[in-house]
Parts: sequence; C-alpha cells; structure tokens
Amino acid sequence: MDQAIVVEQLVKRYGDFAAVDGITFAVPRGTIFGLLGRNGAGKTTTLECCIGLGKPTSGSVRVLGLDPTRPRDLARLRPRIGVQLQATSLPEKANVREVLELYAAYYGIAPRAAEMAERVGLDDKLDRQIAQMSGGEQQRLALALALQHDPDVLFLDEPTAGMDAFGRRILWSEVERLRDAGKTIVLTTHYIEEAERLSDRICVIQRGAIVAEAAPAELVARYGGDATVTIAADGFAPGDALAGLGTWTKAGAQWKLATRGEPGLALAAVVTEANALGAKITSLDMHRPTLEDAFIAITGETIGEAE
Amino acid sequence: MSLLRMFLVQTKMHFLWYFRRDGEMMFWTLAMPVFFLVLFSFAFSDGGQSRSSAFLVPGIIGAQVLSSGFWGVGVMLATFREKHLLRRVYITPMPPWIFFGSLVVYRMALLAAQAVILVAAGALLFHVRITGNPLEILAILLLGTATFVSLGTIIGALARTTESANNVASILTVPLAFLSDAYVPIDRFPHAVSSTLRLLPSTQFIDTFRDVAIGGASLAHYGAWIGLLALWAVAGTVISARTFRWV
Repeated sequence: MDQAIVVEQLVKRYGDFAAVDGITFAVPRGTIFGLLGRNGAGKTTTLECCIGLGKPTSGSVRVLGLDPTRPRDLARLRPRIGVQLQATSLPEKANVREVLELYAAYYGIAPRAAEMAERVGLDDKLDRQIAQMSGGEQQRLALALALQHDPDVLFLDEPTAGMDAFGRRILWSEVERLRDAGKTIVLTTHYIEEAERLSDRICVIQRGAIVAEAAPAELVARYGGDATVTIAADGFAPGDALAGLGTWTKAGAQWKLATRGEPGLALAAVVTEANALGAKITSLDMHRPTLEDAFIAITGETIGEAE
Repeated sequence: MSLLRMFLVQTKMHFLWYFRRDGEMMFWTLAMPVFFLVLFSFAFSDGGQSRSSAFLVPGIIGAQVLSSGFWGVGVMLATFREKHLLRRVYITPMPPWIFFGSLVVYRMALLAAQAVILVAAGALLFHVRITGNPLEILAILLLGTATFVSLGTIIGALARTTESANNVASILTVPLAFLSDAYVPIDRFPHAVSSTLRLLPSTQFIDTFRDVAIGGASLAHYGAWIGLLALWAVAGTVISARTFRWV
C-alpha cells in the first residue's frame, strides 16, 4: 500500500451547511500534501475527519489503511499519527518540560523534553509556564508534542499561524527534515509561500470542494497565465523582430508583452530593440507567474488575511 | 506498566497545574472549610459549642464531597472542553478513563487533606472526637464521592460552556449545603420539610456519614440509604458515559 491517506467523497455537514462537500484526494507515503485555501474553506474540517475528531456525514477516510470512524481502528491509528491542532490550548500553569513529560507518558515512550525543546528552539524555556509564552512559542511547543513520539503521519493545521519569522523558519526546516526521514505530512495553510515551499502536491480548497490539485510548479504552469514584460519608452513600438515573442497590447504609454516563453530572454530582446530605436525607457518590468496568480485564476479571489 | 505511569504522571500534573500553582485554589480548598467550621461553630452554638462543632465537622466534609463532584470534576471537565484541552488529549493513545480517573483520584487526595485538616481543627479547637469505625467511615466517604462525582460528571457532559456548568453547579451546591444537614440541622425545619429533605441523596449521604463518624452508629443500619446512593451513582455514571462529549 503506497497511499498513506485516502479520502473519498468526504462530506461533513453542520445542519444545512456543508463545511466539506465531496472531497477526494490521496496522499502517497513520504510526501507532503498541502491543503491551501481561505479561512473557512473546509481545510480544518477535512483534517479533523482524518484524525477522528470529526465524523464524516458521508464518504470515507483511510489513514494508513485504518478507518478513523471505527473505535478499534482509531486506537491503532493514534500512536502512529502526530497532530498540531489550530484550536488547542495547553494548561496555563504547565511548563514546557512537564507537558512533554506528560505526552511522553501518553505514548508510552521515554520523555525527550530537552531534545524536543531544542528542536523547536525552546531549549532555554524548559521551565517556562504556558501563560508566560507567546502564541508562536506555544505553537512551537505544540509542534514538539506532535513529533515527540516519532509518528509516521503528521497533520499540521495552520502550523505557522501567528508565528514570527524565527518560528516559521524552524517549522519549515523541521517539516523538510521529516520529509527527508520519509514521513507523510498533511498541512493546511492559507500562506501561499508556505504551501509552495513545503508541498509536493497542493490541493486548492474553496467552499468545501477541491478546485485544483497538482504539484506547485504544475499549478503555476497550468493556471498562472503568461509571463509579462511591460515597457514604457518614448518612440518605442514592437516591430517585426518582437512580434514573434507573444501578444503585445498597449495601455496608455505602456506596451505589454504576454509570453509563454522565457521572460528573461524576452526582456533582453525588448531592451535591445528599444535601444536600437533610440527610445528612452521610462519604466520596465517583468513578471513571472506565481502560485498566487494561479490561486487567483483558480478561485477568482485573493487568499488575503481578511476573513 | 505504561498505563500505570500514564495514570500517575497525569495525576501529578493535575495536582501541580490546578492546585499547587493556584494560590486561590489552595486557599479555598484548605483554609475556607476551617473558616466555615469556626464561624458556624460560634454562630450556631446555642446547644453548646462542641455539640455544634461535632455536627459541623462531618457536615462540612460532606459538603466538600458534594462540591468536589460538582465543581472539582463537573465544572472542571466543562472548562477542559471549552479550552480545547479535551480534544487535544482525545487524539493521543491515552484511554479516556485514565484522564477521568486521575482527575477523580486527584480530587480524592484533596478531599482526604481537607478531612484531615477539619478533623484536626475540630479536635484542637472544639474537642470534637471522631469515634466511628475507620473502615465504615472510609466506605461511606467513598460511596458519597462516587455518587457526587458521577452526578457532577453529568454537568460536565451536558454543559455547553464553562459558564453554564458554573451556574448549574452553583445552583446545586450552595442550597444543598444548607438543605442537606451539612451546615444547619434540618431538624429545625417543620417536620414535613425535614422529611422531604431527607429524600435528597446529599442529605442521606451526610446524615449517614455523620452518624457513623461521630454518632457511634453502624453502617449496617443505613442499608436503604446506601442502596439509594449506589443507585444514584450508577444512574449518574450511565448518563455521563452516554452523554459525554470529548470534542
């Protein structure tokens, strides 16, 4: 069995509202799968159905071949998964060392408090109480709790939400290290950069449904649109030499080239032509399509911070 | 082995996080019952101080059993759920009974400490003597704890928020402490009222406990009440187990 997770036609309704409305995907072992979407798109609900925190209204979920809705399967699954939840809190008066000790006891392993604290950059805060820690530090501790028992599959729900740059770097390098160790990771995020950097495959979710799924570069190539070169220069007009590069349009004083080819080469050709014409360049810009362009093309909206 | 370790570590953490590091909680648990004993001993001393203190020592211990069940377990569980602690532990391999059992054991340890302090204060300040059979005293205390923990757990199971759990626990605990022969002898009420109040499990538990602890009575004479308390405990456990939500 080479699929760590198989989700088929998953539906989760709350009353009349379908938080998840027929989602199907599979995650091969040893890969990172990113669920990308706005807040409220259904990412967390999907993840909760994979770990036994939510019961699907219909459809099926298998994690490591086990069905999280069956108590016996869930009991066998729990020791093999690690979870960093978005909506979780730790006891205010607990300290880092104690929480790691308690979770080690839950999993029947020897506590690795010092080692885990170091891995998430909390080695100088072992005796710090939760109430005295920043949100980002608590998130890093939550990551350590998800990792301490060395699970085969990790579920990270918005793992860097509220983290500073330092925490984000730690989390990203930890995730990359886990991928190298052959772990399977499901990650939900509304940060495009994070999804692009970490995911082997990205699944774009909108209003409870999958609207696109592919490797990040593939999403950009398929949906990101053309690269563009924009130039404003007195006396410039694209002649025959430039016509073959792509489609030219004029808006005000600006000429814009949309190209499927390598935009760097197109830019060089455009500048050469402008110089040959003796045209004085007042502005020049090149844009390569990004995952964000692809996201906007796919969903018709920006991912934004706005709820 | 690993289950035992899980249980012990979880109990230790309950104690550290919710008692040892919470000054307010320590004060309410350890000092307030003694304040009540002293205050009410003087307030109701018309029949002689040591007689009212002898009434109060088991009465206050009994009231603490009630509030341990309603607040210490019931409201606590609702708080854990509201703060998303329950869902976090639900996804670990820890069996639910470990989490619940360690919470109960931790509360029982606090109850034992409260009982020792109250008995010592009663003996030193008011010459109250506990004369009953220690095993029978322990047995009725354990039964009462089981009854009120299981009833308290229903609050924790059904309350949607900490606030509503708090309200339910207040509505139950405060009047019951005064209507169940804990602080005030219900004999002072008209007969019809006092005999109605004796239908409450809290009254039956506190009266049985008091009679065994200081009245020299034997538990064997309280078979009917013991049976009823056990029924409440079973009913409470069944309802809690069926309605409890981890998520």
